[in-house]
Amino acid sequence: MMKTIPEHVRNSWRRRLLAGLLASPLLWLALLSAGRQWPYPALLPLEWTPEHWSRLLTGRSDLAFSLFFSLGLSGGVAVLITALSFGVSRAVAYHRRRRYWLLAAYLPYVFSPVILAACLQYFFLRANLAGAVAGVFVAQVLITMPYGVIFFTNFWNGHIRSLEQLAYTLGSSRWQATLYVLWPAARGTLLTGFFQIFLISWFEYGLTQLIGLGKAPTLTIKVFQYVQEANLFYAALAGTLLALPPVVLLWINKRFVFSRML
Amino acid sequence: MLLEAVDIAKRFEREEVLAGVNVSLPASGMLSVLGRSGSGKTTLLKILAGLESPDRGKIVLDGEDITHWQPQKRGIVYLYQEPLLFPHLNVFENIAFGLRLRAWAEADIRREVEAMLADLELSDQANKAPHQLSGGQKQRAAFGRALIIRPRVLLLDEPFGALDAETRANMQTLFLRLAEAMQLTAIFVTHDLKEALAMSHRIGLMQSGGLKVYENRRDFLNEAGAGVQQEMNFWLNLFETEAIAPSNPR
Amino acid sequence: MRSRSQPWLLALFALLTVAPLAAGILYALAYSLGLTGLLNTGFTLAHWQAVLGAGVFWQALWFSAAQAVGAISLALALALVVVLWRPGAFQTGLLSFAIYLPLTLPAIVVAFLAFQGLSKSGLLSRIAYALGFIGGLEQFPDLVNDPAGIGILLAHAGMATPFFILLLTQLYEQERVAAYADLAATLGATRRQRILKVQTPLLLRRAFPTVVLYALFVMSAYEIPLLLGSQSRPMVTVLAVEKLQRYNLADIPQAYTISVLYSVVVIGATLWLLGRQKTQ
Repeated sequence: MMKTIPEHVRNSWRRRLLAGLLASPLLWLALLSAGRQWPYPALLPLEWTPEHWSRLLTGRSDLAFSLFFSLGLSGGVAVLITALSFGVSRAVAYHRRRRYWLLAAYLPYVFSPVILAACLQYFFLRANLAGAVAGVFVAQVLITMPYGVIFFTNFWNGHIRSLEQLAYTLGSSRWQATLYVLWPAARGTLLTGFFQIFLISWFEYGLTQLIGLGKAPTLTIKVFQYVQEANLFYAALAGTLLALPPVVLLWINKRFVFSRML
Repeated sequence: MLLEAVDIAKRFEREEVLAGVNVSLPASGMLSVLGRSGSGKTTLLKILAGLESPDRGKIVLDGEDITHWQPQKRGIVYLYQEPLLFPHLNVFENIAFGLRLRAWAEADIRREVEAMLADLELSDQANKAPHQLSGGQKQRAAFGRALIIRPRVLLLDEPFGALDAETRANMQTLFLRLAEAMQLTAIFVTHDLKEALAMSHRIGLMQSGGLKVYENRRDFLNEAGAGVQQEMNFWLNLFETEAIAPSNPR
Repeated sequence: MRSRSQPWLLALFALLTVAPLAAGILYALAYSLGLTGLLNTGFTLAHWQAVLGAGVFWQALWFSAAQAVGAISLALALALVVVLWRPGAFQTGLLSFAIYLPLTLPAIVVAFLAFQGLSKSGLLSRIAYALGFIGGLEQFPDLVNDPAGIGILLAHAGMATPFFILLLTQLYEQERVAAYADLAATLGATRRQRILKVQTPLLLRRAFPTVVLYALFVMSAYEIPLLLGSQSRPMVTVLAVEKLQRYNLADIPQAYTISVLYSVVVIGATLWLLGRQKTQ
């Protein structure tokens, strides 16, 4: 008698196959980062070497510097913008003309960062910020601020307002209401917003390249540089490093990585 | 009997929601089903509609075993508590939905829908989107959508639960009128005792996974009417202590 | 509840969001009209005439729009098929984690991977060779750096599909699409009718604003067309930046003209979208 595979097992194979397909770009990236020599028509690199990674981990590769530079830059942008946009978003959310302020935030959000950088390059040059790390920092602040405001405006809904007002009627001061009511309620949102702002900065290339003029060697800049040099294994290594923080964040909490804007 | 369900059982994980329920419904008959939240009322209706499958039991409609039939083949319409009007269609198209599925001619659709709209006092709302309607209007449109296809059985799952008291009373009157006019066969689920008694003489009480059907109000009140008696005593005492003459003393 | 700090916060907001955008566009406009810049000779419409008349801008705009529409349509169609096939598949378990993995790759890395996969010496070509479909890499078709922009389209569609799967999965749950489908079933709708008349319209209606926004992002993309595009048919952003960075100084005013035109299109589309949201 023919034995049929039970449905839950079949489903599980299909799910694993699809999951594998979804993970394959990342896996391939990681694979290439440990490769050496990939002549046509070999399906896989002819040699595998830990050398690229060991150079990175022992600090002998300029990618190590780029990694820490990118972490510092994006971390700094994320801290500043999370704090600023959270406060600004409250002012926007509670304003009579909230809709118009939000519209104002959407315009730079949708706008191409690289075209914005092209239009603002003159101002950065005049302010001696072009070709400087500070300039790239400022430029990234300009593209992440709109997102931060849009994101955090959703937090200030009727429910939060009621909680805040309730606290006042119970006798709390503004500071107490912030510390004991708003902060606990906002913690999760702040964390999610922080990581999403971090990722916008982390992934940014065009604007960094136009304003930084090569003086801000973020990982994205390195990927492009290695691609230009036809050094695909180092490009893959830089790409793997770029994917690492989001994968870790995903592991901790999926919401840190995904957002729906409208 | 038009509809008979025999020994219907359903278990969700560890919980036995229905433990051998029997229901029978004559043609043009109505049954009110009363029960607390979580007593299995919705599960029973969904099984009858074909939206869930029973672990055990049989459903017979007009002499045919429909236990494993797909929902679209049964002619049993299930109405949720929320009207669930399709937001991408206006009122006219919502009501016409079932007729369009059956590829009726345009002229016939127009005639039937306009008649239904008039019956439901919704003629002025025909071109409006669902979000532009009040709760009562939405519920009437949802009724129209269900009734226009002349379902063999109508299953109503607390249809007036979300309405205010006055709208609710109006809807109850409307429903009874339509049921009479169209000779509807229906099961009306509610957790409101007064509503259950108003909708039908036959009352079913769901508890502990089973359904006990009382063929008339007297039997129901005698056995399960303790709650009604308590409530009556409360009001009578209140009137006495406040020295108010009750308007209809009995 | 107005606080004392509200005006300051709003001023900060304007300073960091609206003001830079306005300043940038105004500067670009001034440069494009010859009012400022390295080779400016006073007010002139010559650069505008050159850009609007040459056709290269219109080609780039049309190409960018076509890429956006093509990539989004493909991704949305795929996502709809997947979500309607198994609506709950990405809500729990292994797939609910795996679907986020493609989102961890930035555009520059996606472009790199797409190049490594689709180029003449890429993985797909090697597989085709191994299976005997081609005799050498010259026989593999041009999928990257090609005038049709196939590589760009596939890369963008590849990025957009997981995003749309997540979006539609969320909407499916949030909009109670399953309940509507069940209701339609009891009204007599077959599976096909439920998909075409109920589930798809419900999902697309709610997803529309986010889809349009994503299409604007694709139109504004830089990294993917930079690596995978062709010189003969650049997208708008690449065209503008190229003209800005070339040695020919006379191209710079044209770069700014293109930037202003791009701004008009994107800002116009955003205002339309958000205006539409209000009326809905």
